[in-house]
Amino acid sequence: MQAIVDCNSFYCACERLFQPQLQHAPVVVLSNNDGCIVSRSDEAKQLGINMAIPYFQAKDLIEKNKVHAFSSNYHLYGDLSWRVMETMRQLAPPGCVEVYSVDEAFINLDHIPAESLQDYCVSLKKKIETWTGISVSIGVGPNKVLSKVANRLAKKSKLLTGCIVILNDTKKIQTALQNTPIDDVWGIGYSYSEKLKTYGIHTAYALSIKDLSWGKRFLGGVPGMKLIRELKGMHSHDMQTPRTSKKMIATTRMFGRTVSEWQEIEEALATYATRTAEKLRRQHSAAYGVSVFLLKKTPPQTDISHYHHGRQVSGYVKLDNPSNLTPDIIKAVVALGKSLFEQGELYKKAGVILSDFVPDNALQTNLFVAPKDQNRKKLMNVIDNMNAAFRDDILKFATSGTQKNWKMRSERRSKRYTTRWDELCLVR
Amino acid sequence: MSFIDTDPNEGMATQQINKKFQSAQIIQANATGFGAASDDFMERGIDLNEQLIRNKPATFFFRVNSDAMLGAGIHVGDILIVDRSLTPSSGKVVVAVLNGEFLVRRLQIQEHSISLVPENKRYGTIQVAQLEQYSTWGVVSFVIHSL
Repeated sequence: MQAIVDCNSFYCACERLFQPQLQHAPVVVLSNNDGCIVSRSDEAKQLGINMAIPYFQAKDLIEKNKVHAFSSNYHLYGDLSWRVMETMRQLAPPGCVEVYSVDEAFINLDHIPAESLQDYCVSLKKKIETWTGISVSIGVGPNKVLSKVANRLAKKSKLLTGCIVILNDTKKIQTALQNTPIDDVWGIGYSYSEKLKTYGIHTAYALSIKDLSWGKRFLGGVPGMKLIRELKGMHSHDMQTPRTSKKMIATTRMFGRTVSEWQEIEEALATYATRTAEKLRRQHSAAYGVSVFLLKKTPPQTDISHYHHGRQVSGYVKLDNPSNLTPDIIKAVVALGKSLFEQGELYKKAGVILSDFVPDNALQTNLFVAPKDQNRKKLMNVIDNMNAAFRDDILKFATSGTQKNWKMRSERRSKRYTTRWDELCLVR
Repeated sequence: MSFIDTDPNEGMATQQINKKFQSAQIIQANATGFGAASDDFMERGIDLNEQLIRNKPATFFFRVNSDAMLGAGIHVGDILIVDRSLTPSSGKVVVAVLNGEFLVRRLQIQEHSISLVPENKRYGTIQVAQLEQYSTWGVVSFVIHSL
């Protein structure tokens, strides 16, 4: 059997852990730059605050109901995410935990006898909550798709299910699928769910009784076939090895305000390039592909009810030799950015994307890499280690600048209680 | 401090590195005479984390902001190491949450009541009346105090 463990309102739970006075208060967390609502406590959901809507749209509701709104505190969430995942890794047999996102992980439960599944999940849930202070919901099914179905039902009626749903027989699976709208099936996006509805398929159950060949034809080929196969209770997704390397790494941010000067854009791009190269080195990859995009601010529209997306310009370059060294990435990114930049335009967002990866170790043993590169690699190691030890990017490349006027807005960020000595929680 | 080694041999191709490796012992013997023997006893230095953090995912730090536990050697400005995986039993020093506020006190569990006992005469014992307003956040396992 396969389980998915999913943290309940994860970002809100992280905030509450160190602000216990908010335990039963409505809480929301805003995305980068305080743009959208990305996490809601149950109390906030009950007030009718929707997910992923822009903050300004919910502002009235938030102020009227004294909802506590936080800017994203990624240092805190990242640390607590690690704790939750590490707790699971310590409790499950080696190699059984597959981290799926910041607040979700699959656990292979093939080693647990069927009759002990419930007890196992109860004790796992309790341990995670005791150790980390983060509450979770657990869905269990014969495969990943059905574990997701189970998890959704567990979250939907927390009191009734105790946040644990186990789909271990055909009858339970059938009922669960009938209670799952097609929109809520894992992997079914908006366009597919609209398409399926035109075929009269409104529930996961209706899809599960279709033939595999139907899925291959109408649901995007092999992935659609696999999805139907799993809904039927058969196995098809193999457990991935933990921490599979990403195929693409990006750092994109809204600027805190609109920016028009090249120098400021250059600083921002160099900083994003530095971040992205760091992420790349962490997964021991090197990239051939470097892309940059800039998002222009559009002039105010007459119809203000629409939330207009700006015009985007982007460029791609393929490096002669794959690299994960910050200076190489900065050089390519800045050159690309410069070719895209137009004087007199206002910009509100920029991004750096690295792609076309090769393993980093292939580089290190390459006889043709010039000695100069080996030294630079050592330098990158030193910089990474020092930045990890001292924080706040104590060492950086001069292009990144030191002013950062364009820096993200995060007015309501809580303290970084678990990663900074000078921001520890006070106790009386 | 010099973090960057400026060894001119750095960056050699793999074959050369292998060669260097083979002759490493001889070079060392030439340079230091008997010195090589101590290398056999090299080990990692003492790591405070091993002693102070028994269960990393469950261990958190707090900063003390009161003298209520002076008698237990907990001063203003000290750092508490709190292990949430330890069972909060009677007599343990804990970080507690009472009415939404973090407190460090000695936990006393009797048959029908819980009290938070300070170790400073200027503070009174807190009887926890309503349990729904109370929770034990974690057990204090160590205190870091600067002299």
